[in-house]
Amino acid sequence: MLKLAAVTGLTLALFAVPSMAADQPYLIHVLVLCCLYAIPAVGLNLMLGYTGLVSLGHMGFAGIGAYTAAVLMVDAGLGFWGALAAGLIAAAVAGAAIGAVCLRFRSHFFMIVTLAFGLMLYAVMNNWDGITRGAAGFPGIPRPGPLGPLSFGSLQDFYYLALSAALFAFLVQWRVVRSDFGRILMALRQDERLAQARGVNAMLYKTGVFALGSALAGLGGVLHVAFLRVAAPATFSFAESINIVLVVIVGGAGALAGPALGAVVYVGLPEYLRVASEWRLVLFGVLLVLLMRFAPRGMAGLLADGWQRLLRRSP
Amino acid sequence: MLTALLEQTVNGLMAGSVYVLVALGMVLIYGVMHVLNFAHGALFMLGGYLCHFFFTRVTGSYPVSVVLSMIALAAIGIALERGVFRPLQGNLRNQVIASLGLILALENLVIALWGPNALQLRVPATETLVPIGELRFALQHILVIAVTFAVVLALFLFLKLSRLGTAIRAASQDRQAAMVVGIPVERVDWTTFALGTALAALGGALVGPLFLVFPQMGDAPLVKGLAGILLGGMGSVPGAVVGGLIIGVAESLSTLVLPTDYRDSVAFVVMILILLVRPHGLFGVRVRGED
Repeated sequence: MLKLAAVTGLTLALFAVPSMAADQPYLIHVLVLCCLYAIPAVGLNLMLGYTGLVSLGHMGFAGIGAYTAAVLMVDAGLGFWGALAAGLIAAAVAGAAIGAVCLRFRSHFFMIVTLAFGLMLYAVMNNWDGITRGAAGFPGIPRPGPLGPLSFGSLQDFYYLALSAALFAFLVQWRVVRSDFGRILMALRQDERLAQARGVNAMLYKTGVFALGSALAGLGGVLHVAFLRVAAPATFSFAESINIVLVVIVGGAGALAGPALGAVVYVGLPEYLRVASEWRLVLFGVLLVLLMRFAPRGMAGLLADGWQRLLRRSP
Repeated sequence: MLTALLEQTVNGLMAGSVYVLVALGMVLIYGVMHVLNFAHGALFMLGGYLCHFFFTRVTGSYPVSVVLSMIALAAIGIALERGVFRPLQGNLRNQVIASLGLILALENLVIALWGPNALQLRVPATETLVPIGELRFALQHILVIAVTFAVVLALFLFLKLSRLGTAIRAASQDRQAAMVVGIPVERVDWTTFALGTALAALGGALVGPLFLVFPQMGDAPLVKGLAGILLGGMGSVPGAVVGGLIIGVAESLSTLVLPTDYRDSVAFVVMILILLVRPHGLFGVRVRGED
């Protein structure tokens, strides 16, 4: 009950930010970026955190969604909403197809094969000049058109869209984790053989979560390029795939709030630390190593431990 | 056509040699410690930068700089084994994620110190041309292949004949049994790590003069090295050599029929196809703890 109230309060507060800080476009810009990183991170959290599938090519699938939507909007003249749906479906289908190949491999092999697919997807985005416009990027992506009475042209309105999409992603994550599907995923992470012995079709469920995670990555990708109004291969590179793993791990893999905490730390903190971007990534790299050594459950784990200690101390 | 074939084969052997150096380091470390170090490419890159540093700032001699950068990287390797990988032993996921953290830290540290632009490493061997048939190759090309060949030979002899080499082989076959018969496995761990990172540094220092020294120079060798290891069979040292060379030659020859932009993807497609048919690679080493 307390949790529900806290989440509702936080959501309302987030929706109220633009009206309270209307004179601070920079803050809203940062918050939009947080949402845009949190969405694919939710997808990866379902795979990495709950199912134990360390995918190192996650942003490649965001790229599939983004480029599908971009081509449909610019070359085929489709509206944003249709293109968004098509991008999601394309990412999910690619996730299911590529996932079915990757999931034939285990542990290291799986990681390396996902890495290879991520790099191949990047190579296609970077080199298929006729469709993706190549390394120079894909310019001229329109902002989302109005949906009924709502329009998304201004930064503020786009913030509402990004926030709603992020909330949608978290809602999906919550529903999945609380469902039988989610419980089977966690069983697969803990002991795949045992789950199989109990009659679970492991391949089917893992392919399913790969497709779902990729679809969420695609959602993030489409919104990302609609926000920047240009799709560039660098947004979906190997480095970005590492960064999204970083977001999930720093936030806390396998925790519902993990991706949100991770995105805020990854995007928000450096903006206020005001250090050069190289040093910020050096810092994050070291932070990742330290987290693995001393707090592998990430921020969510640290907060949960702190909360427990607080409860115990006050009788 | 024949000339082009020959040219691409030599190019492929050269690239393959570099992948072999990276793959050997990773496979040795994997064999002994069961650690898959994704930061190996970043260490390769650091080897290139340190070689550049020693060459331009400390000594004017390229071979001395190569050796110095290998020594420096061996020391860094020992530090990483002690500080990062040993404490995380037994938890594959956390080791891999920590090594991703190391990639971020090392690549960006290099950018912060040397800037994002590529540096030139001007050594005489890139300007001397060697004629082979009607083709001419830079001496450095031949040097990369020759040095790798010598290093691989030395490594095989070391693993077969020396006491430490035997200990390394024993520890990678069965760590517990090695402990039981009194092999100091922890010493084996850090020496293997030092050896592996020194080989990565050698790779970076050797290609630096040919393709410039830049922060992302280790990314491609990392993934190609990984592809070579999987191709040859995880944990197999001869497999890493053969796998690395196959990847190098296959991607070079592919440029004869496919656009160069997709050269990298060829390596991965070869790797994935072979793995789908032979899940344990060409040399079929079954690794403990895998399925």
